[in-house]
Amino acid sequence: MRGEGVGASVLSASVTIRKQAHMADTVARMAGTTRARTSAPARRRRSAWQDRLAGVIMSGPALLVFIAMFIVPMLLAVVLSFTDWNGYSLRFDFIGFENYADAFKNPRTVDAAIFTAIIAVVGTLLCNGIGLAVAALIAGNSRGNTVLRTVFFYPYIISALIIGFLWSAMLAPQGAVNSLLAQFGLAPLPFLTDMTFAKASVILTIVWSHFGFNMILYLAGIKSVPTEYYEAATVDGASRWQQFRNVTLPLIAPVLTVNLVLTLVGLLKAYDIVLALTDGGPAASTQTIVYQILKDSFAQARLGFGAAQSVVLLIVTAALGLAVTFARRGADRKASES
Amino acid sequence: MTISTQTSPNIGAELLLTDADELPRRRYGRRGRRRGGPAAQRTPLAASIVKWVLLGALALVMLVPLYILVISAFKPQADIILHPLAITPDMFTFDYLWNALTSEKFNVVGAYGITLLFVVLVNIFCIALSAPVAYVIARGRSKWHLALLLVFVSGLFIPGQVTLIPVVFVLRVLGLINTIPGFLLFETAATLPVTIFLFAAYLRTVPRDIDEAAALDGAGRIRAFWSCIFPIMRPVVATIVVLNSIGVWNDFVSPQIILGPGSGIYTVTTGVYAAVGEFSTDYTVLFPTLLLAIAPAVIFFIIMQRHIIGGLVAGATKG
Repeated sequence: MRGEGVGASVLSASVTIRKQAHMADTVARMAGTTRARTSAPARRRRSAWQDRLAGVIMSGPALLVFIAMFIVPMLLAVVLSFTDWNGYSLRFDFIGFENYADAFKNPRTVDAAIFTAIIAVVGTLLCNGIGLAVAALIAGNSRGNTVLRTVFFYPYIISALIIGFLWSAMLAPQGAVNSLLAQFGLAPLPFLTDMTFAKASVILTIVWSHFGFNMILYLAGIKSVPTEYYEAATVDGASRWQQFRNVTLPLIAPVLTVNLVLTLVGLLKAYDIVLALTDGGPAASTQTIVYQILKDSFAQARLGFGAAQSVVLLIVTAALGLAVTFARRGADRKASES
Repeated sequence: MTISTQTSPNIGAELLLTDADELPRRRYGRRGRRRGGPAAQRTPLAASIVKWVLLGALALVMLVPLYILVISAFKPQADIILHPLAITPDMFTFDYLWNALTSEKFNVVGAYGITLLFVVLVNIFCIALSAPVAYVIARGRSKWHLALLLVFVSGLFIPGQVTLIPVVFVLRVLGLINTIPGFLLFETAATLPVTIFLFAAYLRTVPRDIDEAAALDGAGRIRAFWSCIFPIMRPVVATIVVLNSIGVWNDFVSPQIILGPGSGIYTVTTGVYAAVGEFSTDYTVLFPTLLLAIAPAVIFFIIMQRHIIGGLVAGATKG
């Protein structure tokens, strides 16, 4: 999920691409006339090939870095996924779809995939439910609300690894939470040692550290709703809840979409927090798919198998991201029309 | 809370206004006062109490772990376990924090330096590479420019973890695995898609007249960009710096795998993992180390809060 501040925003940006392209079009069209008028004299002053050369010089380095670190590795991942390469030896064989077949049969991978799906779905619902509710409650600009925003948001800027270690100490058998339970005369709970508890602990820790980010995005959306709409609703005698349900919610539909896609796609990559909190245990019950990929690729020296799982993850991530964006298209369009 | 009762006559007055100039001004003025939206409305006392109890409880859930983290860094193991919430003068000690600060396993000060260096260098490389190409894309009108944009934007769909494995292979071929240049190369590349996307979107809103003015003054295209256009990009550059800095400072997987434990180069996160990973039950090591690891980020956040939140929102929603 986190541990990739940039990664998260990468995904967020991907969600807004369509919207962005649309906006850019509009801007271009608006600027179009001026552009055509003013660019003519400059053209004469500078020769076309000089311009083109400058263009190549300006875009070349970025393109080279991108090809070396994105395009080539992507293609390599696909190629490697059909091999039995261990990552070290000089020779490897092409074994067809064996890695993919293994990925869908291997019980460890299947368990990891199921747990990752649970994290993604439950985590997305909780992060967005709490984030949206809190945002609606503290949307006002009072001093108390500003402080609360900081309080709810701060875990997001802390590395997921450190969040994981912090909660692993809090939830340990002798940790702070059990110690507090004991002071209230309650029996200790196996937060990290029982399989079901451990799964819940992982999800709740993720939600604890992540919902503040969703809240901030929802706040930005809620604040962009023109006050006039609420005034009109008040005149019509709408209650607070009705205003939220019928004014706020439909108008922030695009923010909801961004949040859903961002959280869903981000949580599919959960790794750092799991590594620090449970290290995949107990009995491998909290291993996520990325945990599995990295373990297979490096610790188990089955790079080909890891690559195959990566490719599947990539396809699932892209498909889910697009599916949610597509499913929310109607709501998004309505919001932009009103 | 008389605002809501004032509302209806005001709306009526507004509708009856005939002076076209008066309308936006009045609207703007009102909006400035009542930015809060629905929250500005009257709420029943009971609902208000429930709301603040819920928010207060949630705030406690958020803050107590941080409080425990901070005070436990100054307490011995037995007191951390028996009295998680208390801190008294007789248990207070700087010893464990000092031990963590001077630990042989994890050179915290060195890790701060290294990570800060990475943050600064990735930001510089990222901006130096992205800004010109974003400018070319934003100003270009041929299908090649569109293709260029699409190539970079496709990177938005590729999760870092998927490419990391083959990146190791590529870096090994280049002889850059386990080296700082190799890490910087990957980390910079990872920032390119978002950065180019945001920069290009921003540059489209910058009028071309500025380019033309520079061209008339005889500046070449590259110089015209850096001297006339780039300074205008300050807001979007700030957004990117926020996003990159948080991302690089908190990144764990890339430095762990590309730099590797063998290189002896530790960032804050990989250092914490190395120091704490196997001793996570020794709280006198764990808490001081975690406190040292989060202190710079939290202080930075408190000082730069407005910019960080603004940058994250811009990065996620505006694009």
